[in-house]
Amino acid sequence: MGKYILRRLISVIPTLIGVTLVIFLFQRLIPGDPAVAMLGEHASEDNVARIRQQLGLDRPAFLDRDALVEGNLPGFFDSQYVRYFNRLLHFDLGDSIHRRIPVAATLKERFPATLELALLSMFFALLIGIPVGIASASRRNSWLDGTTMIGSLLGVSIPIFWLGIMEIMLFSVFLRWLPSGSRLSPGVSITPITNLLLLDSLLTGNFAGFWDAFKHIIMPAVALATIPTAIITRMTRSSMLDVLQEDYIRTAEAKGLAERVVLYRHALKNAFLPVITIIGIQAGSLLAGAVLTETIFSWPGIGKWVYDSILGRDYPIVQGVTLLIAIIFLLVNLLVDVSYAVLDPRISYD
Amino acid sequence: MKRKTVFTVFGLLIVLSMLLSACAKAEGPAVPATEAPATEAPAVEAPAVSAKDTFIFGRGADSVQLDPALVTDGESFRVTGQVLDSLYRFDQGTTNPVPGLAECTANADATVWSCKLREGVKFHDGTDFNADAVIFNFERWRFTSNPYHYPSQVFEYYEAMWGGFDDASIITEVKKIDDHNIEFILSTPMAPFLANLAMDMFAISSPAAIEKAGEAYGTPTGGCVGTGPYKFVSWEEGTEIKLVANEDYWGEKPKVKNVIVRVIPDDSARFLALKAGDIDALEQAVVEDLATAEKDPTLQILTRPGLNTSYLAFNFKIKEFQDIKVREAVAHAIDIKGLISNFFGKYGTVAKTLLPPGMLGFNDKIDYWKYDPELSKSLLADAGFPNGLSEVTVAEDVKDADGNVVYTAGQVIPLRLYYMPVTRFYFPAAKEVGEGIAANLTAAGFNVELYLEGDWPTYLGARRNGLLMGLYLLGWGGDNGDPDNFTGYFFNSAAEPIKREGWYQNAKLAALVQEAVTLPDPAARAKLYAEADQLMHDDVMRIWLGHNNTPLILSAKVLGYVPQPVGAENFEYVSFSN
Repeated sequence: MGKYILRRLISVIPTLIGVTLVIFLFQRLIPGDPAVAMLGEHASEDNVARIRQQLGLDRPAFLDRDALVEGNLPGFFDSQYVRYFNRLLHFDLGDSIHRRIPVAATLKERFPATLELALLSMFFALLIGIPVGIASASRRNSWLDGTTMIGSLLGVSIPIFWLGIMEIMLFSVFLRWLPSGSRLSPGVSITPITNLLLLDSLLTGNFAGFWDAFKHIIMPAVALATIPTAIITRMTRSSMLDVLQEDYIRTAEAKGLAERVVLYRHALKNAFLPVITIIGIQAGSLLAGAVLTETIFSWPGIGKWVYDSILGRDYPIVQGVTLLIAIIFLLVNLLVDVSYAVLDPRISYD
Repeated sequence: MKRKTVFTVFGLLIVLSMLLSACAKAEGPAVPATEAPATEAPAVEAPAVSAKDTFIFGRGADSVQLDPALVTDGESFRVTGQVLDSLYRFDQGTTNPVPGLAECTANADATVWSCKLREGVKFHDGTDFNADAVIFNFERWRFTSNPYHYPSQVFEYYEAMWGGFDDASIITEVKKIDDHNIEFILSTPMAPFLANLAMDMFAISSPAAIEKAGEAYGTPTGGCVGTGPYKFVSWEEGTEIKLVANEDYWGEKPKVKNVIVRVIPDDSARFLALKAGDIDALEQAVVEDLATAEKDPTLQILTRPGLNTSYLAFNFKIKEFQDIKVREAVAHAIDIKGLISNFFGKYGTVAKTLLPPGMLGFNDKIDYWKYDPELSKSLLADAGFPNGLSEVTVAEDVKDADGNVVYTAGQVIPLRLYYMPVTRFYFPAAKEVGEGIAANLTAAGFNVELYLEGDWPTYLGARRNGLLMGLYLLGWGGDNGDPDNFTGYFFNSAAEPIKREGWYQNAKLAALVQEAVTLPDPAARAKLYAEADQLMHDDVMRIWLGHNNTPLILSAKVLGYVPQPVGAENFEYVSFSN
């Protein structure tokens, strides 16, 4: 297993290099100049040219053929991509084009907000999705099963932005129970340790801060959790239904084992592999796909930030965030594969 | 394994999630471990706040930078306007420049402006505001060799408003007479001198703060330091900027202790936040929310006067558009009044000139274009297109920024109408207006292809390079209330074809605006700008569409908020009723 994990971790490196190439290429294929986006409607041509040079955008994207023809080998490699890759090797994600501050610094601030939201959403999705999926499968064609199926269909169908707005209208405008957005109320502060506010407030014993942070995160987390909850519920149900028809389940029932034991000890473990796969995919998607939720609830995460950066052609931010998300996807996939072996003794990577 | 229950599976998942978070946080290149939090203020400590003493303004986008000399976006000025003062300021609710940090008088030919600086004023970092501070700021903006004029920075507005950098600058010297008296020496008379001084982008920053922060001045880590009614506290990028009242302010003391300028990107969510009482005021509301707000007694709507103009432009590299009859046919084909009424709503007014009504030089004698599709067809037939126009011909080669030919002379292309991909304060519904114009033009014999060039940077880039090859929508919002900032900005170099203005060329127009900016007598200037607008109208060089008043929605409890036609609104006058 150890060797397998090591092999997989090593294979991450070429994958990430590929990711950097693809991100880099795709960004350059989008028309629109970062210098123009930065300087706006007033920009003079001289200033656009100067900023392009300053940002290195006057260099070829990948390799300079003209320099090669002239026999200038260093010039041949002096391209935007090589400069970017060189910075990456020095653990430098570069500076934001518009704000001229290090991407890593902002990422450090904003990523925990998205991570906290994604983790809580996943927690809700698992808390509801798995038990409801199991209950639904064990009572197939009952009113519970019907309600679950309709509910999960609604969950995958309701647009997040609509659900978010409805939540705000109900809980913020009419009932006035919850704040409509952001992470904390004015005047409330939580000493940062991990920048996961719920965790930090508990670690520092700041229960007022915890309550305030919880009131802020609950609506976006619920909105973000709807799709994964629905998908996990459906996957758990269908996977359980398959397993419940197996001979060994009948045998277990014939032996007189309690329903709970049959369901949880015998059926669930075998039904769980496809569910784990879905959870892995959803975990990555939650991080990458929080744009809408973050926009509606003014949540200061990476989703809205990277969306604005794409529009503003802020290449270093887009590259930095995409790289981080790619790393997370790869790690989640690895964790999912490893969990297969943990859950199913028939699977071995040695 | 066999004995584990579903709870162990949950436990495993949670542990996996924690591991994931740990892995992500430990990822080397993204997170320098020793960095200070980016939101830390440079000097001021955040006070405890309560809802009563905090004014929260909701907006759709974040500030780009808090060094006003470097930016062009209103969201940056909304904040810097509270923290920094200019030598002059715009009087409440008007475009009249009134003394701010200085009071200036001109010599007879308006080439030397003597300014007495306000005494006893200190920057928020405790340093003195004086002649040296003013000279430091102007020299930093002007001289490209100045150590604080960093190569990565673009002092866009200095170049635009003062003629250029270094020797090209109209301000040839800022001379220190004594600690509180300076002289601006100009190379040529400049009528809008005081209006320029009042612009937010020429607000005076603390030299000590710039020297200390270096290139980071104005960023979320560097903040900004001025003499204004509020001090910068913190900037959580993409989220909110916090300010606290400057108790030592030289002007009217701020009534509200804290200001938070919060980003709520979604229009509907922003409005709901106002309804929920989470913010006190907002800008950029959708039409439906405005209608709701009008009926809601807990809200109030204020309008910012529409010192802006939206327009339909021609690209003069299109051979057919070089014929004034075709341009006139387009002008008569569009139901401008109907479009403005439908898509700008009651906040819009129909435009007939580039200069909005009320501005110096506004020419009220010019007639609105008559909506007459039959006349349009007839003009088109006279121009040689009795069967209408669906394709056009490129008159000359058109190249992109890298010199590659994108359109070749003689190339026949579809007749396109490019619409803006975004909503701007001067153009609340560009796509819908584009669709309306396309329908109008079709009815008059023009077969128009409604064209989306790309997102906003792409659109601006194509416009800059004269590559919007057809008709295109755009607009302009004034910066200082002076006509030079409208007509002069667009056409003072029109002696040659201006690429970014659809290759328009008109030497007479250029001469008019070049002369107008130098005249000290407002009446003489007004005459020239009125003449310029008449010239543009007679040449049908553009179809002016509308002027849009910007609505702001506020809690009914907010008092003292006065919308400014130009520049940042003054939050120090804001207070709350019970």
